[in-house]
Amino acid sequence: MLTALAISATVIGIAFWIVPTNSEVDGGGLPAPTAVIIDGTQIVDITAKGGYSPRVVVAKAGIPTVVRLATKDTFDCSASVVIPKLSYQKFLQPSGIEEIQITAEQATGTLQGLCSMGMYNFKIKFEY
Amino acid sequence: MHCNACILMTENELKNIAYVTHAKSSLNTHSVEVIGEFGDKTPEAIAEELTRVLRPRGYRLSVERMQKNTGWGDFVYALPIALALIIGFLLLQKAGLTSLITSSQVSYGTAFIIGLIASVSSCLAIVGGLVLSLSASSAKEGGTWRTQSLFHLGRIGGFLVLGGVVGLIGNSLHLGVTANIVLGSIVALVMLILGINLLDVFHFTKRLQFTLPARFSRHIVQGSTHEHYLAPILIGVGTFFLPCGFTQSMQLYALSTGSLVQGALTMFFFALGTFPMLALLSFGSLNIAHKTWKGLFFKTAGLIVIALAALNLSNMLATTGIINPLFNF
Repeated sequence: MLTALAISATVIGIAFWIVPTNSEVDGGGLPAPTAVIIDGTQIVDITAKGGYSPRVVVAKAGIPTVVRLATKDTFDCSASVVIPKLSYQKFLQPSGIEEIQITAEQATGTLQGLCSMGMYNFKIKFEY
Repeated sequence: MHCNACILMTENELKNIAYVTHAKSSLNTHSVEVIGEFGDKTPEAIAEELTRVLRPRGYRLSVERMQKNTGWGDFVYALPIALALIIGFLLLQKAGLTSLITSSQVSYGTAFIIGLIASVSSCLAIVGGLVLSLSASSAKEGGTWRTQSLFHLGRIGGFLVLGGVVGLIGNSLHLGVTANIVLGSIVALVMLILGINLLDVFHFTKRLQFTLPARFSRHIVQGSTHEHYLAPILIGVGTFFLPCGFTQSMQLYALSTGSLVQGALTMFFFALGTFPMLALLSFGSLNIAHKTWKGLFFKTAGLIVIALAALNLSNMLATTGIINPLFNF
C-alpha cells in the first residue's frame, strides 16, 4: 500500500512537470512579449494552432487594441475562440487572420481567451 | 447486481424458464423472489439450477446472503496504473501532434489523418472518455459485441449522413459555444457518475438512481437479448454533436464544400480515422471484462474516467469565465 502511494505521488509530480499550472507559466521563464503600437492602435499578434502562442502578452492599458489571431491549417480546438470578458465567441476559418477589436475602456486588467473546450488559453495583461 | 439493467436482465432470464411463473429482483436487498413449480427440490438445489441460467450473464444465486467484496486491494495497482495512463495522455497533448497537419487542402486522406490525430488529442478527454465509460459500464453489465459494434456503426454512419446533410443544406449543425458548454458539462457529469459506479465502492450512487433510468436500460439490455438495435446506434450518431474542436472544424469544412457527396465523405473519413482508438477502448473493455483481473480493469477505468470528467468540468467552468483555467496544454 505504501509503495503504491509513493509511486502515485511521484507520478502526480511528473504530471505537474509535464503540464505546468497557469501560475507557473506566468511567473517563470522568459519575459512575456509586449504589444506594438502603430498610429495609436495597439496590435497583439497571437498564433492559434494546437494552442496559442505567445501564451502571455503584455500590453498598455487604456489604448484601443486589435488582437490579430492567425490560424494556419488549424483544425483543433484553438480555432474555436472564446473571450468570456468580452462575450466574444467565434469559430475561425482553418487558415486566415481574425481581428478582434478592443476599445480603450475594455483594455484594462487581464484579458483571458480560451478555446471552447478550455484546454488552451492565452492572456493579455494590460498594464499602466 | 449494480443497476436497473441487472433487475430487468435477471427477471427476464428467470421468467424465460418454463416452470418459473414469477420473478422479482430487488436492487436494494440484492435478492430475487422466484415463484414456480419446483417439485420437491431443496432451496439449495433450486438456487444451483437457476444459477446455471444466470451464470452466462455473470450472476450467481444463493440461498444465503452474499458478503459484498469491494476489492479495495485492487486500488493498490489501479491507482498507479490510472495515473501513468493519464500522464501518457498529457504527454500526447504536449507532443504537438497538431503540427503534423500541414495541408490546407482537406482531401479525404487528410480528413482521415485529422481523425487519427483527433482521437488521441484533446478530444480523447471527452469522446474517448465517454466511450470508455459507456463501454466499460456496458461490459460490466453484460453487454455484448453487438452493442459495441452497433455504437461504432451508428457513429460512422451518422457522420456520413449528417456530413452529407451539412454539405447539402449549407447550414452548420455544430452547436454554439453556450450549447457546447452545456453539452460538455452534461457529458462530464455522465462520465463522473459512470466512473464512480465503475469503482464499485460507493453504493449511494446507485441508491440515488444516478444510473441510467430503467426505461433507458430496458432498451440497452433488450438490445443485447432481443432484436432492439436503436439505443447504441443513436448514441453513436449523437457523438456527431459532442464538443470536440476537430469534429467542429471538419463540420465547418463539410459545410464549406456545399456538396452532399463531399460533405458526407469528408465526415465519413474523419470518423473512420477516429475509429482505431475508439475501437481499442470499447472492444478492449469488452475483452477484459471476461478476464480474471477485470476488477482491477474496472477500477482503473473508473479512476481515469473520473479524472477526465474532472478535467472536462474544470475546462467548461473556465470557458464560462467562472474560474481561471487550471492547465494550459
